Amino acid sequence: MAIEDDVLVVGGGLAGITAAIAGAREGATVRLVSATKSTLRQASGLIDVLGYLPDGTGPVVDPFDAVADLPEGHPYERAGPDALADGLALFDDLAGDHYRGSHTDRNALVPTTGGTVKPTARYPATVEPGLASREEATLLVGFEGTTDFEPSLAATHLDAAGVPFEVRAATVSFPDVTAEDATATRFAHLLDEDPGVRDRLAERVKPHLAGESRVGFPAVLGQEGPESVRTSLAEALGASVFEIPTGPPSVPGLRLENLLHDALADEGVRVEQGNPVVDFDATEDRVETVTVDRVGNRVPYAADQYVLATGGLVGGGVEADREQVSEPVFDCHVPHPADRYEWFEDDAFGEHAFARFGVDVDAQLRPLAADGTTEYENLRAAGAVLGGADFAAEKSGSGVSLATGFAAGRRAATELIHTELRQ
Amino acid sequence: MASSTSVVVIGGGSTGTGIARDLTMRGLDVTLVERGTLTDGTTGRMHGLLHSGGRYAVSDQKSARECIEENRVLRDIASHCVEETGGLFAKLPDDGEDYFEEKLQGCRDCDIPAEVLSGDEARKLEPFLSEDVEKAIYVPDGAVDPFRLCVANAADAQERGARIETHAEVTDLLVEDDEVVGVEVRHESGPGTHTHGTSGTTEELRADYVVNAAGAWTGEIGAMAGLDVEVRPSKGVMTIMNVRQVDTVVNRCRPKGDADIVVPHETTAILGTTDEEVSDPDDYPEEQWEVDLVIDELAKLLPILREARTIRSFWGVRPLYEPPDVASEDPTDITRDFFLLDHAERDGLDGLTTIVGGKFTTYRMMAETVADHVCEKFGVRASCATADVPLPGSDDFDVLRDYMDEFGLRSPIGRRSVQRLGSRADEVLTTDEPNPVVCECEAVTRAELRDAIDDSGSDLNAVRLRTRASMGNCQGGFCCHRMANELAPDYDEPVAREALDDLYQERWKGQRHALWGQQLSQAMLNHALHATTMNRDGDPARTGEAVAFDAFDGGSPDGD
Amino acid sequence: MSDATDDFETIDVFDEEPLGDDFDPVDVFDGEDMDLRPGADSCYKCSTCDSSCPVAEVDEDFPGPKFQGPEQWRLKRKDDVEVDSSVMKCSNCMRCDGACPADVPLSQMHNTARAEYVEENLPPFSREYLRNRILANYGRLAKLGSAFPRLTNALMGSSAVQWLNEKLLGITSEREFPAFAEQTFRSWWDERGGANVQSEDRRIAYFHGDYANHNTPEVAKSLVRVFEHYGYEVAVPEQRCSGTPMFANGMLDDARRAAKFNVETFRELVADGYDVVCSCTSCSMALRQEYPELFSFDGTATVAASTYEALEYLRIHEDVADDLAEADAEYPDLAYHAPCHARNQGLDTQAIELLDGVDGVDVEDVGDSCSGISGTYGWKAENYDTAMQIGAEMFEHMEAVEGDTGLTECPTCAMQMEHGTGYEVQHPLQVVEAALCE
Repeated sequence: MAIEDDVLVVGGGLAGITAAIAGAREGATVRLVSATKSTLRQASGLIDVLGYLPDGTGPVVDPFDAVADLPEGHPYERAGPDALADGLALFDDLAGDHYRGSHTDRNALVPTTGGTVKPTARYPATVEPGLASREEATLLVGFEGTTDFEPSLAATHLDAAGVPFEVRAATVSFPDVTAEDATATRFAHLLDEDPGVRDRLAERVKPHLAGESRVGFPAVLGQEGPESVRTSLAEALGASVFEIPTGPPSVPGLRLENLLHDALADEGVRVEQGNPVVDFDATEDRVETVTVDRVGNRVPYAADQYVLATGGLVGGGVEADREQVSEPVFDCHVPHPADRYEWFEDDAFGEHAFARFGVDVDAQLRPLAADGTTEYENLRAAGAVLGGADFAAEKSGSGVSLATGFAAGRRAATELIHTELRQ
Repeated sequence: MASSTSVVVIGGGSTGTGIARDLTMRGLDVTLVERGTLTDGTTGRMHGLLHSGGRYAVSDQKSARECIEENRVLRDIASHCVEETGGLFAKLPDDGEDYFEEKLQGCRDCDIPAEVLSGDEARKLEPFLSEDVEKAIYVPDGAVDPFRLCVANAADAQERGARIETHAEVTDLLVEDDEVVGVEVRHESGPGTHTHGTSGTTEELRADYVVNAAGAWTGEIGAMAGLDVEVRPSKGVMTIMNVRQVDTVVNRCRPKGDADIVVPHETTAILGTTDEEVSDPDDYPEEQWEVDLVIDELAKLLPILREARTIRSFWGVRPLYEPPDVASEDPTDITRDFFLLDHAERDGLDGLTTIVGGKFTTYRMMAETVADHVCEKFGVRASCATADVPLPGSDDFDVLRDYMDEFGLRSPIGRRSVQRLGSRADEVLTTDEPNPVVCECEAVTRAELRDAIDDSGSDLNAVRLRTRASMGNCQGGFCCHRMANELAPDYDEPVAREALDDLYQERWKGQRHALWGQQLSQAMLNHALHATTMNRDGDPARTGEAVAFDAFDGGSPDGD
Repeated sequence: MSDATDDFETIDVFDEEPLGDDFDPVDVFDGEDMDLRPGADSCYKCSTCDSSCPVAEVDEDFPGPKFQGPEQWRLKRKDDVEVDSSVMKCSNCMRCDGACPADVPLSQMHNTARAEYVEENLPPFSREYLRNRILANYGRLAKLGSAFPRLTNALMGSSAVQWLNEKLLGITSEREFPAFAEQTFRSWWDERGGANVQSEDRRIAYFHGDYANHNTPEVAKSLVRVFEHYGYEVAVPEQRCSGTPMFANGMLDDARRAAKFNVETFRELVADGYDVVCSCTSCSMALRQEYPELFSFDGTATVAASTYEALEYLRIHEDVADDLAEADAEYPDLAYHAPCHARNQGLDTQAIELLDGVDGVDVEDVGDSCSGISGTYGWKAENYDTAMQIGAEMFEHMEAVEGDTGLTECPTCAMQMEHGTGYEVQHPLQVVEAALCE
């Protein structure tokens, strides 16, 4: 007997979660199934909307303005004119005071661990004091024995990037940790649990302060209670304290994931994580059921409407072998050059075709077959599984997930209501 | 022994560094110039096979005998660069029985120990071998790391007084009165270890003798003095698998042909190869069919290869040479033997000898031949000692240590470090400072990287070759920037940035040929990390465009 | 140390009678080590496994699953035998398996590496080996305990014995040994005369495991009653430990013997139309995932593909969701903890989803943290503090919700919940029985 719901969302990243909550808020019963943990904790935890135009122009000051001019086929264009604002409004509602940036349409520039600055639309409250547009002298602090962040290079690099403030650097040993391969979650946990560690860290940083009004640390300042960690450090240092987002494993990404999972529970979305959708049954027009593989057992799930939000090449929503590129769950068409050697450019940061791989959709976000017809009338796609944009180069990944997730989830739920009304 | 005889050796590959070591050991004053990093040419672009001679046992028994002789020497003098893997010549049903017998007989004729295994015995040794393998010949093939071997030769020469200049391209041969009297080089960043962003200089290096050991580029060097060196460069692809599917070299037992060898190399396995003559060793097509061919063909021997992850492919250019009167049509027919061209004798131009052809396994023997030749010219009587004196790192050492107690390292990391460093391990790894792992794929620690940086300057590609950092499955996605971070505080930010860009681009170059399946996912994650999280592509310091910081959001009014 | 060895040598707890002399390990495993290096092909280093690891978060000496799994395997050459000692700090919660976005066989890599480590580095007469082997073979000990439950309970509860356990064996004295039931489930089953319902097409073979048999027979009885309520014929075949504690302790030979016996038993039943049903989520995990990853006896895959957790099975085959939504029961408010192994099978939300709808039953989730005990892990004196630090989050959440009764599918999570909060802990099947069976 199939497990039944109104809307089934396949995929548990930012797009899937947004779709599920948007659907639930329309009154649908929604279930979200995802094969694994999402890629949220691989990302910085920033909510990028649009930092650079497809031709590389940027950094963009007002992403909302710029989004309106994107070419046809871009996921933002497909999602419709209000989707981004709606998706961000939903995010702002869920994130509450943990995230900032909703007071303006302008992008903020956030210092990175490499010493560059990056345009983003929403940022954790822990990142806010470090914004590069603030003209405040800054001390960057790194930890001995960590390798991802070298504060002296980051500081001089920020200077080379032309930031309007003085930057200095210091390296200290992290209190109470001797193992050089301790995980980021270990640092965060210690700061969460042990006020003594915060005190000792502040003591070690203090001698390096030379009047700077803000101090930046790699983003490991607590997993559960970053505000409390930050407040303790700020009080002890007499300066504001901020986080510099890191690559994976990203503690801000982990916090965002936890925040969104709490929201899913609050919104009544049923979540099943850990097992992949491996098969489906469909008529010519509609997906009828999908099959989830639970450690070798095949379990059927049924819904009236489906949302595909399985991610891109990293999340597993798009796959390739030597011959072709495919979408593994519903076998939707993924446009791509037939010649594998046209999937990339020779420059490492070139305009790679592979970075744009994903399904094409209509204005209802329904995946399109090779002949341009919709694959299934009750299947929509959202997030990185959509093609047509290099999210990494544009810095648009989170915004696209929010906009298309919101639009797909809400349309799925309203479609359902219409179907029910007709019956 | 004092000697003022000065020799310039052109080419920092195995032959050039081997010659530099040999001549220096005999008391000559040697300067080696290399246009890129050591091994940048063909040496760094081979499959890492230490030949037993088995591959030549039918077609070229002279080479086969040289190979087994040098194979034994290298196990001894370069033990930290050599892994004694053993090798198989595996027979599939399509491969001729007669050839199998000829191969076996050929090995025996050349004193190459050879033993016949049944298909099941071969599969017990290598469980991923195809069920179709009927039988195999086991020979003492080995695996060798050409980078570290070459670096060890150069380091030893340097230790003994040679001058080693990398990033020093020969721009002219100095010829006076029908005699080569030196070379003109262009130092990319001045003499000494490489530093990005330092302006270049030109230097005239005058010498009593010049050795052209530029491999596939010997023709171009010769042309600078109007000489015609008929080197026939031939390209071949090598495809690198993410893991070792085999711990033994596996050859297909058939006459010459493409795609017939898998070599376990450090943490990977290398598939090879193709053989196509090219006109320009610096500019030739790297083609998809070559990659597909080695995978599909070798999957017949090892079916797991069909779906296994490849992390990159690279091409090497063999410096093949044959006397002009032979005129082989097919490059696979050209001999793998080496030739010493004494231009005084051949062209009436004194002061220059060119060494061409040959193969990596016999580099030391080639170097000895050249060194003998040079010494004879100058009446130097010292004899060759390179077959007896271990290279730095290959003095007696024990891989099995208590890594946690001795170096504070977890055992697989300690073991890999010691396998790479050999007898230099204590010197390099003993430190009171924190010693984190910088490259997780290859288990390379900060101490090992810092040692390599001391040796090769800001050139992170040279650091990579010494340590294998960034050569694992993420292809530098997670460690290129960490490696650049290790350049501080010795080097400034612009140097570190340029070094990072160079390394990242170099890693991308090879990965382009592996962009499907897991490596495409890896490439996308790397792209996301470097472009999205670090915004290296939009970096204002890189684009040079001023950013109007005050136009951007400076934080919420009620924020902190 | 050697004293302890001698004492325990006399109790032959490891010699397993069902297999007797005719067991030949060479038949089944060929003595070859498994080469899991190709499993590293899937890893793209994202570290999601590390950030999901409950041990790495509280113990910096544990470098996390990425190093233990794909990195360590990838660095191996054929003759390299060393496995880093930190593999013994892995608690085998298997969260990394569920976290990995790229299908790296992490727990399989850990299980195999741990077995290699134990073989190379733990001398069979060392205290650690002996202790681990005793803990791994809990069922053997339990058999003795159940023979004289009152005496054993009194003995194990005595502080003198607990002190001795810690000093001699390194089993923490902080925990109280679980009490043995007065009557085992199997004895109840036999006394009852076996199945009360016969059916040709609805048949399940119950894998109860050691714990439900010796310590919590009420859970096993609930399962029987619930399935009989739905008209299933229940079989309770001879069986041995699922192997979970053996994998976790690197005792792969013991696990292989147990698994072989279980597969041989249950494959016959599967052939007769039975599906295999477990009440313990670690048992279902072992049969479904670890057996096929580690062994290849005839029928391993068949048994794996026919194994289900009890509620999961009912949900697929019966309209249990609606039946429960219409049912009522008088029950104290419950604080539910999803065991890591349930999470790994995607079963972490089903208990709440199904039971919260029952009129009179109020269940709240206590979050997605690990309980920390991970089977035998938290019983070891050296891990006790780590286990309690991992569990701290769960304890806090348990205190924060309404219910003062715990609920979980896993017997060792239940021990930890009870240990940390003093709550009595129930199994979801007991609630289902209360709701559906008269």
